[in-house]
Amino acid sequence: MSLTVRSATGESVQLSDTPFAQGGEAAVHAVPRFPGVVVKLYHPQVLQKRADTLRAKIDAMSSDPKLVSLKQHPGLAWPRFSVFDERGQWRGYAMRKAAGVRMNVLAHAMAYREQFPNLDRPAVVAYLLSLLGTLQELHTAGVMVGDYNLANFLCDPNSDTVTLIDCDSWQVNAAGKTFRCPVAAPDMLAPELQGKELGKVNRTLESEYFSLAILLFKALMLGRHPYDVVGGAGPVENIRKGYFPYGQGGGGIPKGPWFNIWSHLPFKLKEQLIGTFKEGAPNASARTSIPEWIDFLKLYQRELGKGWHDTQIKPANPKTKEYRGTQSISQPIAA
Amino acid sequence: MFAFANFMNTPKETTMNESHDDLIDNPTPRCPVALVLDTSGSMSGQPIEQLNAGIELFIDEVKRDDLARWSVDLAVYTAGGLADCIQSFIGVEQIVGFSPLDASGGTPLGQATRMALDDLEARKKSYRDAGVPYYQPWLVLISDGAPDYGWQDAAQRASALSAQRKLVSLPIGVQGADLSVLSQFSSKPAVALDGLKFRELFQWLSASMARVSASTSSDASVHLPSVDSWGSV
Ligand SMILES: Nc1ncnc2c1ncn2[C@@H]1O[C@H](COP(=O)(O)OP(=O)(O)OP(=O)(O)O)[C@@H](O)[C@H]1O
Repeated sequence: MSLTVRSATGESVQLSDTPFAQGGEAAVHAVPRFPGVVVKLYHPQVLQKRADTLRAKIDAMSSDPKLVSLKQHPGLAWPRFSVFDERGQWRGYAMRKAAGVRMNVLAHAMAYREQFPNLDRPAVVAYLLSLLGTLQELHTAGVMVGDYNLANFLCDPNSDTVTLIDCDSWQVNAAGKTFRCPVAAPDMLAPELQGKELGKVNRTLESEYFSLAILLFKALMLGRHPYDVVGGAGPVENIRKGYFPYGQGGGGIPKGPWFNIWSHLPFKLKEQLIGTFKEGAPNASARTSIPEWIDFLKLYQRELGKGWHDTQIKPANPKTKEYRGTQSISQPIAA
Repeated sequence: MFAFANFMNTPKETTMNESHDDLIDNPTPRCPVALVLDTSGSMSGQPIEQLNAGIELFIDEVKRDDLARWSVDLAVYTAGGLADCIQSFIGVEQIVGFSPLDASGGTPLGQATRMALDDLEARKKSYRDAGVPYYQPWLVLISDGAPDYGWQDAAQRASALSAQRKLVSLPIGVQGADLSVLSQFSSKPAVALDGLKFRELFQWLSASMARVSASTSSDASVHLPSVDSWGSV
């Protein structure tokens, strides 16, 4: 059985018989004639319920002239055009084929070794800067990612680029309408959105900044969640409470290499993480913005280059030497 | 009944230490799975052979998944003559091999379930102490009969936890099982295994674990694959 789909203009193309990947909502097929393209076909049950909404969003995303630069963006698998089956039914869309390993494998205390055997801090920072650049362009275009699922950020092991997939779940203003982002993992979600019906609320830059800070922390800390605390409450409860164990007046940092790793991060970067996770939990305006993160990560990158910080992904001991940046402290900010 | 003696290459005492370190070095959210297996006399022959093959397959498939292997913690309890914990909770990644179970004696499923639920509580405490998030634990109970005696309290505990969504309790009946009794171990009815499709059952279980461990949040509800491949309707 071969699968053929058509574009709105009637051009038809054959898909690989079996999808090369499956998600909860859709199957993704290769296109033998165009190796750079893949086609996402929503599962029939999903189409039965939401075909019209999905189609409206995909059509708006692929046709709004304000968004053309995103269509061409090398870091995005933005929907290019809708595809239809032979009976003319809407089935999904075509997009660029993205390459790379899911960021939840990179930001993982164990799993990174296989796919990124030489992973070091400069490499992590380079991926994060690539991602931040793309996110900044999305925000400029009024697009909010909303669902910070690390499995949708693909890191190319042979370069420092990150490509974002599953763009159709994002919050987009297009063709005069707002299409919301109905999903998110609670442990990546800003406190003001916890427990809300996400299909009915707007994501804001501030809610993005909160989720982003969690992502940055996890990537810099080998998958450890910033709100993992020993002795009781899980990450979601700690998000609601704004209880972040690192920095002064904390307590409850899990045993293991985490404090060591934390101690090797530049003071200025830690200050931003602390600010966002403590004060920034209840006070959205206190969260570090993307332009600020870019500055601080570039500073980290430069200082790594000068040999000021350990480049190992998991330094064996806490930092002992005084930090050679602008701040001089004899101890890393203690727990 | 120590058929799993070389389930791993370390004796039980050090197992505990290893698991403990594991929670420190590996902060991946955990999905604990307790298998409670009827290994009474009636399971001997084909059923126990297929069950063994299924478990081996499960371990292999979880190990092959790049995220689930760091996330799934397994414990195994047998009810055959005596109730026994033949493997206390350990990361699947650390399991080296296993020797097959054999079947004999009565069916103290209640006692085996009680042990599993107690160990689950202890395991959850270790997670909290280590600051490691965890998904809803799974209790997979497989029997071709009915528990011998004194099972009601264990069934009630499992079913209450499952009603509170603190446990995914999955009683599975092999041919000859008393499904109405097994159903009392969960807030959802027991599923009858289609013939001896242990292979399909454990494939489904590993696929479910892959879904659970790939879901980014320990709080999210997960859409599991359909049980059509092994459940009979
Ligand atoms: N542009 C792409 N290039 C390469 N692979 C892709 C692309 N888009 C999706 N995939 C693959 O297909 C899988 C499913 O895609 P996607 O996450 O978009 O589906 P979904 O069903 O909407 O997801 P979810 O399960 O998160 O709802 C991804 O995990 C990825 O492996």
